[in-house]
Amino acid sequence: MSILSVRDLHKTYLGKKPFKAVQGISFDLNEGEILGLLGPNGAGKTTTIQMLMSTLTPTKGDIFYFGKDFLKHRSEILQYVTFASTYVSLPWSLTIEQNLDVYGRLFCQSPKDFGKRCDLLLERFGILSKKRSRISELSSGQITRLMLVKAFMIGPKIVLLDEPTASLDPDIAHDVIQFILEQREKEKVSILFTSHNMAEVSEVCDRVLFLRKGKIYADDLPQNLAKRAAQSRIELIIAEGMEKALNVAKKLNMEAIADHRCLKLKLDEAQIASFLSSLADAKVNYSGIEIIQPTLEDFFLKAAGASDEL
Amino acid sequence: MSFKRIWGVFLRYYYYFSKLDNLAEVFYWPTIDIFLWGMTSVWIQRSESGIPDIAIIILTALVFWQILWRSNYEITVNILQEFWTRNFVNLFSTPLKLSEWMCSVMLVGFSKIWITLGFSALLIWLLFALNIFEIGWAILPYIAMMSLSGWVVGFLSGGVMVYFGQRMQMLAWMAPFLFAPFSAVFYPVSALPPWGQAIGWCLPTTYVFEGMRSILSGGPFSMHYFLMSFLLNMLFLGGVLFFFTRMFQKSRQKGLSRLE
Repeated sequence: MSILSVRDLHKTYLGKKPFKAVQGISFDLNEGEILGLLGPNGAGKTTTIQMLMSTLTPTKGDIFYFGKDFLKHRSEILQYVTFASTYVSLPWSLTIEQNLDVYGRLFCQSPKDFGKRCDLLLERFGILSKKRSRISELSSGQITRLMLVKAFMIGPKIVLLDEPTASLDPDIAHDVIQFILEQREKEKVSILFTSHNMAEVSEVCDRVLFLRKGKIYADDLPQNLAKRAAQSRIELIIAEGMEKALNVAKKLNMEAIADHRCLKLKLDEAQIASFLSSLADAKVNYSGIEIIQPTLEDFFLKAAGASDEL
Repeated sequence: MSFKRIWGVFLRYYYYFSKLDNLAEVFYWPTIDIFLWGMTSVWIQRSESGIPDIAIIILTALVFWQILWRSNYEITVNILQEFWTRNFVNLFSTPLKLSEWMCSVMLVGFSKIWITLGFSALLIWLLFALNIFEIGWAILPYIAMMSLSGWVVGFLSGGVMVYFGQRMQMLAWMAPFLFAPFSAVFYPVSALPPWGQAIGWCLPTTYVFEGMRSILSGGPFSMHYFLMSFLLNMLFLGGVLFFFTRMFQKSRQKGLSRLE
């Protein structure tokens, strides 16, 4: 069931040279879905997120949360929609406890409602012992984790996460990803997720929207996008019969390169089995094999530099 | 409007206020001002200026000016606080309405003027053995008028700041002083040139200072001055609240994140 519907959303920044940052995008976010928002710099990701949290007014188009018009029911809707980003902070001279107290009250919750949940989240992210520390005393990684506590402490239905793992060490970033997946499973939270870490997006997102020049360039599952962008690659260590192996590849119209004892090929995933079978028929001996699947990063690189149609 | 959200923002600024560095700032400037102006006015009085109550008149005017300053400061500097700490987007991506934020900063300002008033009155009494409450019950309506005028100046400069951002931050400190010469804070409005007097009588603050001087010189409470100050404050406050709201909406069209 769609709980966020975006229809024909436009944003044009006026000025001497008007700039069309978002040009008619439409998409839905379903309950419990994690939707990735990807694209190169200037693609319109941040502009879209800002419009979705009402800190930027769209030039045209509609945003509906839970079937209600965001423009008309902003305050009521934001009661269930939160946001976290590496690029915003909290008042430096206030402690973690004071900041979360203020934030909870802005959602009309009393400290009784959110206090216990806050402590659990602070403990989960390893910053409970810093509860009475000022924000100015925290590292950037600790502030990023605090922003996540802030986003999840009020029990939201939708969370907008703008690069939530930037500035985090890999082990903590992994923990954050696990937490996001748990929230989706247990609480059915829907998440709109942006990141520059493609491996992370592949792991966490159910679906990916790729924006380019303010338009939706692709909308698909991460694995399908990867396949659309590149072929699989195979690297074989040939013990005996390099010439025969090259001939097999040539017969099957595959692009192959011999590099000392290593044979490198690009091919579709479906061709791998028949190629290996043909090598066996030609009595080629190989001592090692590595199959490299295309990744979302391949798609990103291709799409970022491609023409308007993939 | 939600009282819980208004209280949330109120607490946010009081948590900030409770830090030692901010407390020092609240007490430091009034102390310096009172000492400088107090010594000056005592010296003028001793040199037989011909105005017997000059010291109490100047010091009461100073306290009234501090009330306007404090009401303005709580609006403008709290906006800047949100810019400086990159918290502006955080605040306005919550259910918080602009009207609720505006109510909060007005309440914060109104509550802090009593701290300013109490501290300044005590200091003046201790240093110069003068009682600013000599003005009697009239101090209450005059404080209310100065607080309203502080909000007018605060939302006027705040409206410019929420649109143009930090490059206009000097308004937080400068804007009140634009009105000070014409408000006849320390001298009668008749001391101004005719064109200055014309401007002065258009400002709600002028009526408060004139009324205060009149009472301290033995005259009665002037209902005319009070009503003029009230009407002008209401007129200007309505205008600047509309201006601030419009500038915020315009700023939102450009994106609030650019302000941080």
